[in-house]
Amino acid sequence: MEVKKILPPTIILAFFLASWGIGAKIYDMAFLLPGPWLVAQTFKSDFEIIMQGLGITFSAAFTGYLIAIVIGVTVATVMSLSKILERSLYPYAILLQTVPVVAVAPLIVLWFGFEIKSIIIISVIIALFPIINNTLLGLKSTPKTLVELFDLHSDSKFTTFFKLRFPAAIPNIIAGMKISAGLSVIGAIVGEFIIGSGSEGGGLGVQIIYAQANLETALVMALILTATGLGFAFFITVSSIGYHLLHKWHESEQ
Amino acid sequence: MIEISKVTKHFGEIQALEEVNLDIATGEFISIVGPSGCGKSTLLRIIADLVSTNGCVTKPEKGAFVFQDSALLPWRTVQKNVELLMELEGVAERKEKAKQALAQVGLTGFEKSYPHQLSGGMKMRLSLARSIVLNPDYLLLDEPLSAVDELTREVLQEEIHEIWKKDNFTSILVTHNVAEAVYLSNRVIVMSPRPGQITHIVDIPFKKRTPDIRSKPEFSNLVNDISGKLRAWK
Repeated sequence: MEVKKILPPTIILAFFLASWGIGAKIYDMAFLLPGPWLVAQTFKSDFEIIMQGLGITFSAAFTGYLIAIVIGVTVATVMSLSKILERSLYPYAILLQTVPVVAVAPLIVLWFGFEIKSIIIISVIIALFPIINNTLLGLKSTPKTLVELFDLHSDSKFTTFFKLRFPAAIPNIIAGMKISAGLSVIGAIVGEFIIGSGSEGGGLGVQIIYAQANLETALVMALILTATGLGFAFFITVSSIGYHLLHKWHESEQ
Repeated sequence: MIEISKVTKHFGEIQALEEVNLDIATGEFISIVGPSGCGKSTLLRIIADLVSTNGCVTKPEKGAFVFQDSALLPWRTVQKNVELLMELEGVAERKEKAKQALAQVGLTGFEKSYPHQLSGGMKMRLSLARSIVLNPDYLLLDEPLSAVDELTREVLQEEIHEIWKKDNFTSILVTHNVAEAVYLSNRVIVMSPRPGQITHIVDIPFKKRTPDIRSKPEFSNLVNDISGKLRAWK
């Protein structure tokens, strides 16, 4: 990659790290504001515990993300095929978006137990709507002349769906998946917050609560950075899949 | 032969077409001209069976429709776009036929390109190739050349004429361009503003269509005559 692309964000990062470091030096209270160096050291000293947390949160978030994609695309497909079903289901899809997930999470834990299952469900709930909404938008905005073309030469709804509507919707599906990538990690962390102040082993969310209670602020920050990196990794992965699928024909990737 | 009888169309309160009757002989090329919104595109869609009507249209079995915006699938290569309609209709030997059709419209060598890499004229050639490869009995063209520049337009008119002469399908062209209609057609149908109905049918007597007829006085007389009929509405 060219220097031109990398340089601007690097300057911002350097500036941010410098002001953080100077701020931490001035205040000199490591339990409130540990400097970047201390956080970096924590990565090293608590490497195992962070990696363990990352592994657990990753599996919950990734499972939730995949389930959200499958359910989201399926529900949107069903809604796109039938006006009646769209009218009956869409309001509830919106509710899914407007419900304060943080507030519902305790209920889900109550129902499904203090287990990874609950965390996955919370992650699915939070990641689902953007996928439904974008997929539906894509499936419904097939260009009119293309639909007419298929009407003239094919009498199978399936053919029209698989050869026209679905491929035409892929850019929107990818867009929805990009939004949900970060959300699925947020969902997993929220789930872990609710489940876990009690124990030491657990996902990043559990460990954040635990480290905070012990005033290990540098560890809290290291864990937050790890969770951020996880969401970012999801996003980058989906983006590159999107690029490979779309760069040959869609303007968004050219 | 295509027979259009007592075709009317209402969109809610608005009457788009007022009783249209027209017979088009097999192998004939006709053009429909008329002011914007006169329902000529609607008439074409009625013939194609994309829009319903109270009237009656009888036509041969195999037809194709060429859309104004060329209606290509952007995720398919040129090759796959030419094969699309054959694929939908279950036609065999698609590769071979696609190759011939691409050669016919001068797109050989672009098989692996995507539509966004083509110029407007090339997109329209591809759209034509995709339709004629079906070997249709009739071809409906909805302002196919409205998006290309003037020079390409004339070249494409000549190509459409060549293809029509060779394959001899019945053609109905909807266009805003009177010179285009005169150049390509056996008859030009003039329609009135909404509710559209046929007001004039002008026979175009040219035996041969070569670019030089455009500069002949008979040609410009016909164009002026039809343009005058259209201007009378304004």
